Amino acid sequence: MNMSDSERTRPVIERMGYTWTDNEEEADLLGILACSVRQKAIDKVYSRIHKWNKRKDRQNLLTFLTGCILPADKVKFMKLFDIVFPMSELKELPEMISQYGIVTPAGLQQTPETLVYHNEKLTELRQKTNELKLNEHIFDFWHINPEYTSHFEAFVPIQNGCDKFCSFCAVPYTRGREVSRPSKEILDEVQSLIDRNYKSITLLGQNVNSYGLDKNGNEIGFPELLRKIGEMGKKSGKEFWVYFTSPHPRDMTGEVIEVIAQYPNLAKQIHIPIQSGDDKVLIKMNRKYSVDDFRKIMKTIRTLLPEATVFTDIIVGFTGETDEHFENTRKIMDEFRFNMAYIAQYSVRPGSTSSRWEDDVPVHVKKQRFHTLTEDLMRVSFENNKKMIGRTYRVLVRGKERNQQFLAGLTEGKINVRIPSTDESLIGNIVNVKITTATEFSVAGEII
Amino acid sequence: MNIRGNIHKVVNIRDLTESTYVLRMEKKGLKFVAGQNLNIGIAGDTERRDYSIYSAENDDYLEILVKEVKDGLVSKRLRKLKAGEELDVDGPFGFFTIKEESRQAGKFLFIASGSGIAPFHSFARSYQKLDFKLIHGIRHSNEAYEREHYPEGQYVSCVTGDNNGDFKGRVTEYLRLNPPDNNTLCYLCGNVNMIYDAFDILKEKGLPSENLFAEVYF
Repeated sequence: MNMSDSERTRPVIERMGYTWTDNEEEADLLGILACSVRQKAIDKVYSRIHKWNKRKDRQNLLTFLTGCILPADKVKFMKLFDIVFPMSELKELPEMISQYGIVTPAGLQQTPETLVYHNEKLTELRQKTNELKLNEHIFDFWHINPEYTSHFEAFVPIQNGCDKFCSFCAVPYTRGREVSRPSKEILDEVQSLIDRNYKSITLLGQNVNSYGLDKNGNEIGFPELLRKIGEMGKKSGKEFWVYFTSPHPRDMTGEVIEVIAQYPNLAKQIHIPIQSGDDKVLIKMNRKYSVDDFRKIMKTIRTLLPEATVFTDIIVGFTGETDEHFENTRKIMDEFRFNMAYIAQYSVRPGSTSSRWEDDVPVHVKKQRFHTLTEDLMRVSFENNKKMIGRTYRVLVRGKERNQQFLAGLTEGKINVRIPSTDESLIGNIVNVKITTATEFSVAGEII
Repeated sequence: MNIRGNIHKVVNIRDLTESTYVLRMEKKGLKFVAGQNLNIGIAGDTERRDYSIYSAENDDYLEILVKEVKDGLVSKRLRKLKAGEELDVDGPFGFFTIKEESRQAGKFLFIASGSGIAPFHSFARSYQKLDFKLIHGIRHSNEAYEREHYPEGQYVSCVTGDNNGDFKGRVTEYLRLNPPDNNTLCYLCGNVNMIYDAFDILKEKGLPSENLFAEVYF
């Protein structure tokens, strides 16, 4: 989501006359699109702004912060950054900067009266941004033409916000309520990407498969949106893959899976976060589904999409998680045979419901569970990947590996593929690769 | 950022015990399904909390049941509010609700500890013909919050701290002695340890997962 947001941030800043630089030291305007999912990510923001503020003694520098920010952090960030605003207000950034005031040495020569004026405007600006509803102008944000950073992969936001209030999560407090983007806009953007021969299109939302539910029947739902995109793909005759993230199991209906099965362009790769394999932990997390419910979804996926890969998210060390609870999570790794799991050690998110409960799983236990589950994942993933040996897959070539002797690609199911080739003209194309070897998290093969 | 919702003015506050109270506020047309909750803070403040809606769907006001938490940032300050003061209200949220088709034909067991009774109060007041039994685990019998609001015989207080309740002991002890039928829809709300223990008892008795619904408060 942050990557997609940055693709809309860049054109707004460039239209103000700024030019992009990769050299932080020479920048006049520095900004951060924050992520509050884990404390580590926010710690990096604190560290970075402290570093930037030290430079203000010797050069003019304006800083801004946007993205996902918890209320508790926002109060602190307002004292550290020049401008803090919700992503939905991105279109107002030029106005915010013009109202800000002192940005040049010439500005420092102003009379005290002018300085008071600027300070009053600044206070007013801060008050205004403090009161903004999180999603107030999200539609304006979606109307910004993005500057895609890749010529073959794109992210299309379709939904913003979350109403699920999982107890461990800060997203409802950083992104606001679920809002669906008008389907016409989404379909127009996807069509434009198809016309420009994009190969991988990912539909984005904090609850991507809740699409349309907030419109009370005045908008199509997620299965229908996928169906329309599938029809667009069929009509184009082109080969490309459409993915979606992040879905919630509550809204993962059989209809969604049926639609994916019907259209080749709808990628046979499902990302569906389970978070825990224990019913009691799921209750405490307020996920509002049981392992049995998840099992039914997996059965539908395995029946209708037998070749699909399944990715998931898991949190270990959630408050109150016992060894028994954790063993149940280990069991589902084997049962559901996930191709990939994004495993996180629980960290308290200020403002979330669980922040008021004791974070009672010791750090060393969280670490141990993380390593144990990662080993389980590696074993299962390796077994999955070995089954690919000898078979040919369509692979999107994405770039060169660091050692420059190999190209890196992804199968439709998003399995990493290593290809012994230096032919950069293949980047951005889908090619046939026969798999020859496998490792825990990747396979390698020859182009045929 | 503040999740800025809508401003609802306080109508009144009525005390139920020394530490528990019901806060009534303007409804302002807010529609909800019984069992849902609101995210509430004092207008202008960043601290917010989620509270189950205590009032009925058709009441022309909104109510929440609040237990003052020791060192709590919000529960103590809400109690000091006067009529006319403003709350910032977002919602309703949540899925701890009863499907319409179940309300007519289903048999329900509501199991609450302490202030976890709030959503069940809303169920009972919203759906007059609901076939339910409510088991309420409390320390003292004076915490049988507004038991007169429930039909005679349908509210059972399980009291651990004195002998003036309907049952002396924990909710889970009552449950072991009085298990529900396997086709009963069981809703649990309140303390996580109570929920876990009750969950185990109900699963042991053979209740299927799809008949169990839970909301953890603390």
